[in-house]
Amino acid sequence: MLEPDRRSPLHHRTEISAEEAAHLRELPFQGKIVLRGDAGSIGDAAADVLGAQLPVEPCGSALGANLAILWIGPDEWWIITEAGVERDTQARLSVALQGRHHQTVDVTDYYTTIEVAGLRVIEMLSKLTTLDLHRRAFPLGRVAGSMFAQTQATLWHAGSDEYDSPSFRLFVRWTTADYLWCLLAEAGREFGLPVQEPLAGETWRLAR
Amino acid sequence: MFLIPCPYCGERDQSEFAYAYQAHVHRPKDPDRLTDKEWADFVFIRDNPKGVFAERWIHAAGCRRYFNLMRNTATDEILAVYRIDEPQPKVEPALPATPSGEAPIGSGNDAVKVVKPAERGS
Repeated sequence: MLEPDRRSPLHHRTEISAEEAAHLRELPFQGKIVLRGDAGSIGDAAADVLGAQLPVEPCGSALGANLAILWIGPDEWWIITEAGVERDTQARLSVALQGRHHQTVDVTDYYTTIEVAGLRVIEMLSKLTTLDLHRRAFPLGRVAGSMFAQTQATLWHAGSDEYDSPSFRLFVRWTTADYLWCLLAEAGREFGLPVQEPLAGETWRLAR
Repeated sequence: MFLIPCPYCGERDQSEFAYAYQAHVHRPKDPDRLTDKEWADFVFIRDNPKGVFAERWIHAAGCRRYFNLMRNTATDEILAVYRIDEPQPKVEPALPATPSGEAPIGSGNDAVKVVKPAERGS
């Protein structure tokens, strides 16, 4: 008999670190639910389940009961939960929103989460994206989808690390997770991150 | 490359967006009675003006929403951005003062070649 073996997209990588300058790790199996609907019609019922109102200001986020709600579009939110409770959250949402026009989709295994944090993290990420990541333009709690090198990912300024430096979460699709992981390591190489060889063997040169 | 103001997310780099062709192309109300030429016009024929053009864009890497945008195709100046459900605004073209409204420099139009003061004497 084959045992079911759940593997995360970056199961072959281990946490890499350059002390306080930068560190990089995967948060495997973090629950991710897409919620779509009109905020005026589903907002209150969803807030009862989630413990926070859906953020309606663009590129914002809200923290609820052991979960976070990210603004993705004017009628679309992502609910980020701890690993393992996404199905329960989705079921409770579906019950609460019954009869209202809405959609919930469990995309936990479609995306993975890369946590990237440290003193030099903004310089690292700025090599890969055109977003303005200065703390005035991208404060705590801000969410933005953008291109990171050749792949699309959603960036969330989630908090601070143990050195009080900014900590970001990157939600990236399974198929491009290894590419982005290696590129982040390459972007942090000047700050002391070790080189990560891409699985597909590709090479690149980053503008410095 | 230029910056595009998404009506939801604000100003972002063009690399996050995808072009979605001419805006305000409406599906015919009575498709049964259309002639072949009218079908061809609806399906294939699009305006290609030099000057102000209403077009659709999608913020593909960001909020993934379509929106309309009015752009001067000669200068790439963005004149108005509005949601799909909003009416088309009236905009003043604000074209450069050249015969057909193209940019004076870099348009490839030799008729408006810029003459620098140093060249004037020779």
